[in-house]
Amino acid sequence: MTEKKKVKKSNSIVHSRYGCAIGAVNSVAAIPRGIPIANCGPGCADKQYFMLSFSNGFQGAGYSGGGALPSSNIGENEIVFGGQNKLDDLIKSALKIMDGDLFVVLTGCAGELIGDDVGAVVKGYQEKGYPVVYAEAAGFKGNNLIGHEIVVKAIIDQYVGDYNGEKEKGLINLWFEVPYFHTNWRGDYIEIKRILEGAGFKVQVLFGSEAKGPDEWKGIPKAQFNLVVSPWVGLETAEHLKEKYDQPFLHIPIIPIGEEATTAFVRKVVDFAGIDKEKSEAFIEEEAARYYYFLEHFSEFFSEYWFGLPAKFTTVADAAYNLAITKFFTDQVGLIPVRQIITDNTPEKYRDRIRELYRNISEGISLEVDFIEDGYQIEAEVKKVDYGSSVPLILGSSWEDDVVKELGGILVPISTPVTSEVVINRSYIGYNGALTLLEKVYSATVK
Amino acid sequence: MTRKINLDLSSVENREMRLGSIISWDGSASELAEASNYDIRGQKRTGEGGGCAGKKGPGCKLCELNMPFNQQTMCNHSIVGCQVGNIPDCILIEHSPIGCSAIHPRFNLGYRIGLMRRGKEVKNLQIVSTNLLERDMVFGASDKLRRSIRDAYERFNPKAIFISMSCSTAIIGEDIESIAMEMEGELNIPVIPLFCEGFRSKHWSTGFDISQHGVVRQIVNKNPQKQKDLINIVALWGTDYFTELLKPLGLRVNYLIDMASFDELAQASEAAATATFCHTLGSYMATALEEKYGVPQVNASQPYGFAGTDDWLRAIAKIMGKEEIIEEYIASEHARVLPKIQELREKLKGIKGFVSTGSSYAHGMISVLRELGIEVNGSIVFHHDPVYDSGHTEQNTLKHLVDNYGDIEHFTVSKTQQFQFYGLLKRVNPDFIIIRHNGLAPLAAKVGIPAFAMGDEHFPVGYDGIIRVGEALIEILARKKFNQVLQRHVKLPYTDWWLSQADPFILAKHPEILEEGKQ
Ligand code: SF4
Repeated sequence: MTEKKKVKKSNSIVHSRYGCAIGAVNSVAAIPRGIPIANCGPGCADKQYFMLSFSNGFQGAGYSGGGALPSSNIGENEIVFGGQNKLDDLIKSALKIMDGDLFVVLTGCAGELIGDDVGAVVKGYQEKGYPVVYAEAAGFKGNNLIGHEIVVKAIIDQYVGDYNGEKEKGLINLWFEVPYFHTNWRGDYIEIKRILEGAGFKVQVLFGSEAKGPDEWKGIPKAQFNLVVSPWVGLETAEHLKEKYDQPFLHIPIIPIGEEATTAFVRKVVDFAGIDKEKSEAFIEEEAARYYYFLEHFSEFFSEYWFGLPAKFTTVADAAYNLAITKFFTDQVGLIPVRQIITDNTPEKYRDRIRELYRNISEGISLEVDFIEDGYQIEAEVKKVDYGSSVPLILGSSWEDDVVKELGGILVPISTPVTSEVVINRSYIGYNGALTLLEKVYSATVK
Repeated sequence: MTRKINLDLSSVENREMRLGSIISWDGSASELAEASNYDIRGQKRTGEGGGCAGKKGPGCKLCELNMPFNQQTMCNHSIVGCQVGNIPDCILIEHSPIGCSAIHPRFNLGYRIGLMRRGKEVKNLQIVSTNLLERDMVFGASDKLRRSIRDAYERFNPKAIFISMSCSTAIIGEDIESIAMEMEGELNIPVIPLFCEGFRSKHWSTGFDISQHGVVRQIVNKNPQKQKDLINIVALWGTDYFTELLKPLGLRVNYLIDMASFDELAQASEAAATATFCHTLGSYMATALEEKYGVPQVNASQPYGFAGTDDWLRAIAKIMGKEEIIEEYIASEHARVLPKIQELREKLKGIKGFVSTGSSYAHGMISVLRELGIEVNGSIVFHHDPVYDSGHTEQNTLKHLVDNYGDIEHFTVSKTQQFQFYGLLKRVNPDFIIIRHNGLAPLAAKVGIPAFAMGDEHFPVGYDGIIRVGEALIEILARKKFNQVLQRHVKLPYTDWWLSQADPFILAKHPEILEEGKQ
């Protein structure tokens, strides 16, 4: 970085695009019968709910999130005298009131700064055999993506525990999108599981509608390997599991979208696992046939539509969605990427690898991606771009609404926060999701 | 007269200290009205008698039911964000890690709709976070705050800058007051420190007071030129029904604080009166303006139902010296709306409702339902202020409700605690709920009860408000079909043991139950 750029860099953020580490309460709520317990000020968990669930496709918080979420709501009294007793009361009553199988205590800023020994409180319960774990998830530690990995590690270390048994060939632990944060995560988990099962695997998806709850987590050490489908979130978990259970991992940084990418993805996973290819090849054949049946129909619209279609596009999203969606439109649809901005504060150590992926995004196309978190700067950048003669296409968040209006462009929301769409089980990935994504973008175009 | 509000101090005394507010209580509305001792507390606030609020003298402290279990709620830091963060030409800086700003997309939705309702240009909200990290907790973050203040100034050219304190910056002892003074000198615009850290008050409504305090202290015009036809309405994002309602009195409405411009806020001291749709929200500001600038506040309950609206209009007419025209206006309004209301009463016969909203707003809301002939045997308020800042007896909204519309058997104070909501609903089996704030409606939804989310808080205001609510309810009641589907198929996250408890406050009364081990 040049000296000049360093001086210009500011800490300020407007229009934030993620929550803080305590936002991982939503990851716990994404585990069937998992109960998050927020050990923080009143308002912390509520705010994260609004960023990650409500203002993100109005997903709803499910069984144990949102208004159901136990919280110590630390007050002045605890700040002065300590909050351990209040937390102890909270855990004790949560075990009696909340109907769950795994309780995860997440400590936020206030709890951490006053120096409560949360571990000691929780250990009391663990020793009595209660399924309670704790995680340090203060907001100043990082964003909700960091919080997600902190929580996953806490559950593995304190709940799943040691294992010396056999591994099961063909059984995968999936480390994929971050629950609630990735707007389409629920639909995406369904699609990726469908694909992996179609290829002959058994998959422990751990979060969402297809997950089996804490027992499935207990099965983590049995898996043949860990599959990380994400540019960076999940890598720490996979490294940890490698160390802990001597479990290898396969890292696929780009979430596959479209037939070619998804088929390549399947073959890669099958090769890595060394399982029989007959089933996966039959599956691929069937999926591809269906995919191109629809793509053929779509192509008529795409080549014959008289009234103008977008050609140049900008993506503003976290690393995972940004990379996957940029790749699809560049490599499979032939749109022209003009500006790519990653907004998730990707840790420095992963950035170069991600930059490389953009430089090789498609044959003959090399992109320079930017990492910016401050909405003010992001929106200024989006505005600066030359979109040429056709209507600008911006794949971003609802914060881009104003700037896209100014540009006279089309905004297709793909990243947190999304307040202009209701998302239920939609997916933009894999075989089926790619078609939905085309539907979405081109419906917005012809509207 | 002793001053109730000290504008010399930058910080505000919490509601629980100032007013004796509580967040957990169960009984009938009349019992709560009596226990609140409004008049005696009011005398203390007006300095006229030997009242007891704040001193916690015997007989004056409202007993609270302290529960060992709590669920997530809102905090006063959030409230400040959706108050002073919603002023189009001013900027709020949240001095905190980024998570404290995570509710902005939600606030942006309300802000944009509010701008639309007030006929202003619809644009995104701009609140700046200082985005603090772990090392800032150790080494302090004053330079980051200065930097963000300068960023805000350069980027947005605001007429004033607010700074809000958060849990973490309060604990590490950031001196936002000195920095505000220093930067005010540098930038030559008001820079306003707000002490609203989330842990500070047990109820979020203290955040309203903190916001209003900052506005009255540092924005309101100190040399007011009186505008005789201007009335302040302390409001949120509601549709502008007040202009219509007050037109016969020849008044122009000045809405405070959300979506108001700097200049609109500044002229608050020039108004002929201050009123509000909800004393829980408006009382602090009205009292501060009354004491400091002699702007009288409307001494009446709230403009809901016939009784409330009549009294409210009369009180305003009195301030304006227009008593001679008001009775005729009231009579003609009654005659105008009554046939339609009769019709609605027929349609809503036998229907039972449940209100769960902020404190005095619920009092108004229940009046409207009872005007429509709807049975209301249960209600939740998210906190209760036994007295408002003015101390004026006429503003005793709970008493006004009980006196004019009768008692409410199950009147509960509970701060959006979903786990209690199940038992509270079971006691009265309503056909619908009216709700503000998140967290409770999802539970009602799963036990077969549709919710009317009162997103436009001015909806029930005035005579027409009765009609609006009645008509909307007919639409909401149809949704019961959806809720019954849910009820048949979706499980609640609570144990059978808890769901079988008859008393939602059992754990406060018998905490020893918890010691028996799990089930
Ligand atoms: S940053 Fe800290 S205080 Fe703010 S919401 Fe997150 S955990 Fe709570």
